[in-house]
Amino acid sequence: MADTLDQLSKGTTPASVRIPKAKENLYLANMRKHWMLYIMILPGIIYYLVFKYVPLAGSAIAFQDFQIMKGMMSSPWVGLDNFKFIFTYQDFYLVLRNTATIALYHLVFGFPAPIILALLFNEVRLMLAKRVVQSLFYLPHFLSWVVVGGIVFELLASEGAFNMIRGWLGMEPILFMQEQRYFRSIVVISAIWKDVGWGTIIYLAAIAGINPNLYEAAVMDGANRWKQTLHITLPTMFPTILVLFLLNIGNFLELGFDQIYNLLTPMTYSVGDIIETYVYRAGVLQGQYSVTTAIGLFQSVIGFALLWIFNRMARKSEQGLW
Amino acid sequence: MKQTNGEKTFQLFNYVFLFAAAATMLLPLLQLLAVSLSSPVAADSKRVFLLPVEFTTASWTHILGNEGLWTAFGITVYITVAGTLVSMLFSVLTAYPLAHKEFLLRKPVMLGIVITMIFNAPMIPFFLTVRELGMMNSLWSLILPGAIGTFNMIIIRTFFMGLPKELDDSAKIDGCSDFGILFRIYLPLSKPVLATVSLFYAVGYWNTFQRAVLFIRDPEKWPLQTKLRAYLTSPEELAAVNLVLGDYDFNTTTLKAATILFATIPIILVYPYLQKYFVKGSMLGSLKE
Repeated sequence: MADTLDQLSKGTTPASVRIPKAKENLYLANMRKHWMLYIMILPGIIYYLVFKYVPLAGSAIAFQDFQIMKGMMSSPWVGLDNFKFIFTYQDFYLVLRNTATIALYHLVFGFPAPIILALLFNEVRLMLAKRVVQSLFYLPHFLSWVVVGGIVFELLASEGAFNMIRGWLGMEPILFMQEQRYFRSIVVISAIWKDVGWGTIIYLAAIAGINPNLYEAAVMDGANRWKQTLHITLPTMFPTILVLFLLNIGNFLELGFDQIYNLLTPMTYSVGDIIETYVYRAGVLQGQYSVTTAIGLFQSVIGFALLWIFNRMARKSEQGLW
Repeated sequence: MKQTNGEKTFQLFNYVFLFAAAATMLLPLLQLLAVSLSSPVAADSKRVFLLPVEFTTASWTHILGNEGLWTAFGITVYITVAGTLVSMLFSVLTAYPLAHKEFLLRKPVMLGIVITMIFNAPMIPFFLTVRELGMMNSLWSLILPGAIGTFNMIIIRTFFMGLPKELDDSAKIDGCSDFGILFRIYLPLSKPVLATVSLFYAVGYWNTFQRAVLFIRDPEKWPLQTKLRAYLTSPEELAAVNLVLGDYDFNTTTLKAATILFATIPIILVYPYLQKYFVKGSMLGSLKE
């Protein structure tokens, strides 16, 4: 993956990868000579081990009947019992269906949004206009989901601005946040609102890297702006799009706790309760650690399986993450 | 370049669309501002759009006199400052060796770090780990478990890798150690990128929510976002007075609007600085190896 991303940024082919001979004395000598580098990286290594790898290893409690008093060492192992349990469990299917549906919406509507917006930005010729518009689009990215959730609730309240506009048009007010059929649309739209501008940055960087000669040649050949976009801009963006798509797919079912938690109400649980909010309630609040870890592990496995499949497909045509 | 009619039409449509969409980024905040400065009657009768109706600052005076809100504000300022310092220290210390070929474990360590970008630590084991470390209800639980943002660390590393190798060599000849090179040569040369990354971290800490929900059970220690969330779900607490009995120039609608803005104003204030740096910064984020 490092190589792929590097190529993206540099547009070069990787130097042949040399595998250092695993000579023990080589490392020891290196350590002795550059011991300060090893001291420096120590906090970082400890951080990644303690807060990333220990929890990853801790997923093993999905195969245990974990009891907080006994700890992981002496809790009994139960094999796949927790997984068998979740697959017979009604709530699990509901939560999984909600998660997968919203994730799919995010992919279909949310993923292309910054690509399209970046292309539209690229057509703006007045620099001042471009700057103003971009500044406004980037702003919501820096607001917390608590704030954005609060804004959404206020705007869509029965006396809120949205129903006010409906009133001007002679329409009846709608209680958007309480009605199940609007919930997922609200989730997708608010996510796009918050992050679409931010998402354009990486694509704009890719567009900025395009050789202007290509466009000049295309103009010579009589291509209009649309043709240029279709045959130069988009194909050049494609590797970036592909990498971001794969990274997205790897986290397909991870929708973001903050957003859903701040938009969800008990009235919309049946359509909006997702794996993360469910795991929080059943796991953290009610202490069903093993079962919820099994759900979390299931989520990671799906994510990785999707990543693996799409990466294979990507490698056939272009280049994958690995 | 000559434009065809189709292109002209598109340009027009594009400007209209982009300006309209960009306006929606700001309008919700302006609408809340108008509501927060309006009388409760006006706010609840769909009369306030973008300008206050029956102007009053009662909501703002009321929430600014709310001690709980200021406590939470103080906690958030504290974790933002302390957290950003801790994160920056951890990040530059990690980035420096990873930017040097002399560090033989560079590739395996980098791989180990990149893997954590794909495999996120699952919530429950993460929660149990932090709890085992005795950090529950401690403000450290809001800082240490997220001390290094991998993306941020890689931005710094990429920048370090772009610094000329001769700097290291000449400093070493002068007897400078790696720590000396990092703190006395690299960091002063990296000011713009350090500013960018600090701002990223600071915004992240300011907006901390999930970790506080997981680890802080004592409402006295809640940071601003958690407090805001609690006030939004039970605004009566925010009012802290009996709105029915008394004759007040605010209600839960206007108070909520004011509180949301209260939590947002610091972000808006630093936004011009943020904006100056982040576009460049996030383009530096590509991995180099």
